[in-house]
Amino acid sequence: MTLRSFHRIVCVFGFSFLGINCGGAPEATPALTVWWAQWSPADGLQELGNQFEKETGIAVKVLQIPWANYQDQVFLNFGNNKTDFDIVVGDSQWIGRGATKGLYVDLTTWLPTAIDMKKVHPRAARYLCEYPPGSGKFYAAPCETDAVGFAYRKDWFADPNEQAAFKQKYGRDLVPPDTWDEFKQVAEFFTRPADNRYGCAILTGRSYDSLVMGFQQFLWAFGGSWGNDATHDPQGNVNGPAALAALEFMKSLIPFAPQGGANMDYGQVLEVFTNGSTAMMMDYFAFFPGIVDQMGDKVGFFMVPRQGDQRFISLGGQGMSISTKTSPEQQERARQFIAWFLKTDVQKQWITKKAGFTADTAILSSPEFRQATPFNDAFAQSLDHVRDFWNVPAYNELLAAAQQHIGEALDGVASSQDALNAVAEKHTQIFKESATQ
Amino acid sequence: MEPAVSYAERSAGRLKYGFVAPALVLLIGMNVFPLCYNIVLSFTNAELSGGAWTFVGFDHYSRVFSDPRYAAAMRTTALFTTLAVTIELALGFALALSLQRTFRGKSAILTLLLIPMMLSPAVMGLYWNLILNGQYGILNQTLGALGLVQPQWLTDPALKLLSVLLVDVWMWTPFMALIALAGLQAIPVYLYEAAEIDRASVWRVFRRITLPLCAPLLFLAVLFRATDALKQFDLVMAITGPNDAATQTLSALLYQVMLRDYKIGLGSAYAFVVLVPVVALATVFIRYVDAMQRRQGRGAT
Repeated sequence: MTLRSFHRIVCVFGFSFLGINCGGAPEATPALTVWWAQWSPADGLQELGNQFEKETGIAVKVLQIPWANYQDQVFLNFGNNKTDFDIVVGDSQWIGRGATKGLYVDLTTWLPTAIDMKKVHPRAARYLCEYPPGSGKFYAAPCETDAVGFAYRKDWFADPNEQAAFKQKYGRDLVPPDTWDEFKQVAEFFTRPADNRYGCAILTGRSYDSLVMGFQQFLWAFGGSWGNDATHDPQGNVNGPAALAALEFMKSLIPFAPQGGANMDYGQVLEVFTNGSTAMMMDYFAFFPGIVDQMGDKVGFFMVPRQGDQRFISLGGQGMSISTKTSPEQQERARQFIAWFLKTDVQKQWITKKAGFTADTAILSSPEFRQATPFNDAFAQSLDHVRDFWNVPAYNELLAAAQQHIGEALDGVASSQDALNAVAEKHTQIFKESATQ
Repeated sequence: MEPAVSYAERSAGRLKYGFVAPALVLLIGMNVFPLCYNIVLSFTNAELSGGAWTFVGFDHYSRVFSDPRYAAAMRTTALFTTLAVTIELALGFALALSLQRTFRGKSAILTLLLIPMMLSPAVMGLYWNLILNGQYGILNQTLGALGLVQPQWLTDPALKLLSVLLVDVWMWTPFMALIALAGLQAIPVYLYEAAEIDRASVWRVFRRITLPLCAPLLFLAVLFRATDALKQFDLVMAITGPNDAATQTLSALLYQVMLRDYKIGLGSAYAFVVLVPVVALATVFIRYVDAMQRRQGRGAT
């Protein structure tokens, strides 16, 4: 036995319990860890990840964290020197913090080499990938593209008796509403508390962002805004006459909602719709496959209505970002996975996964996609109208202030004007403070 | 000339430090260090997601007192603590009085009473969230079946704090009852016998014997519950969430500032300011209990 052989034997038998590899067998490629919230699309991403492993030998683990703790867990983890994830599928509003605090890898030069950005829906690119929006600086790749939409009781709308009664009362056909005024009429028509039947359930919950996601669609459609895009000044925008009209209109819909309609989050609007008491429900498209599973062809879908020619829809969804606090090798593997995920063939598979929505314009406009589910057509049309809340680093403070004060208006604790003034004042202060930091 | 210290005495001296050391290390590691670190952080603009931070002096402390959210959270916490402790004390003492005498099934009732406070407040909060749900909660379903009004416990701003209070009272009244019961059972029977011989009225017996002799334990229970209620967090999180103005206690506000707004520095200042009244309250109560015990000691001799 040579000395070298003896050393090998010592290595194998002596140090194997320490997990030390002394040469010989090649080291396995470390798995890519992706963090995402716990919901159906993450299952779909894991399935695609398994396929990626078969093709490249790089394993992908999609770790799902309950929505309630997702944000806290991600940013707590970013506080470490090294993150437990290589890729985070982060909410659209996180991108400002991720980009400016050095948490997300700058993908500006790389992303256009991985995908022709002309193929990405411009609104998805602007709000899910870029920071600041429209700057052409990328910190995320499109992953789950989502928007708010409406589900409605197709069977109620198709009922000849209901159609006749509606026509007699309003002088027009009972069809899914295209304008907010039509929406209000339909909501009023179906509100019959004695029969436990209600017109609509809209997003008004206070726990995270559902009230803001619901309200801003009225705000923008009525001509208001959260503030000047360039200066961020909210005064006169979020508390101007247009914003007041928007909030008053939103409040006027609450009487057509089931009990508790002034405080309903994403889960609660789903509940009142699927329990058969509500005619129309506002929620994100990602929740709609579950409704179809539960209610079948009783349910139809339509876009968020317009006011005049103004139709604005709250953006949802998340982009894939690479952590700066992971090794360069893992960052490279992450790029490899993202580039693979963005391939048209893979995106065609992605849309077959439950609630897997793409930003690929060619797929979005294809008849195959539009006819694949009862909600895809409304989804594809909605993307042309999406807009997002502030995604600056202080987004969460802005969100919390808006949630709290607009909530006070819905609860009747404050008048609409006072609530909007409070939002404007608080947002001014937050922007001022964040500018000095 | 100094007296010689024997080896045994020196060894005993070292041994006592040896016994105290683990507890001391734990106390410093788990309490003193985090507290000191919290104070240091409160003077910085440190953020949750890491990165460089700088000292900002007393900026955060001056902001604490000018922030309307802090004032509102202080009011909510004070209201919640006062109502919760008062109701729990009254109900718990009444319950203890009714359980003072021996009767059939008493041990079963005591066991049942223990259940709410043995369960995790976070889990109970989530269960009560379902029970109080305005649409499908069992409470409103029952009220509806009886033809009664179905309040929106979790969404009506006038009822949200009441809902949290209801759950807290449900959880912690048994604690008050058990402590009060221990106090009642420690009262010597001969005092009641003497009062009976003196033909003292029930009210006089209660006022002159039962209440004064139970008071030290009741105060201790109030101290525990008050310091606990001042930190109310779990139930608020589970029932209404941390950002609801109607139920935002100081701890919920701290969570919002530190974990949702990512402002660890500002949150640390909030936390330190919250700690001051808690420590002050605890000190007042402890001194009161001490004084009462000394008075009783003198009375006994």
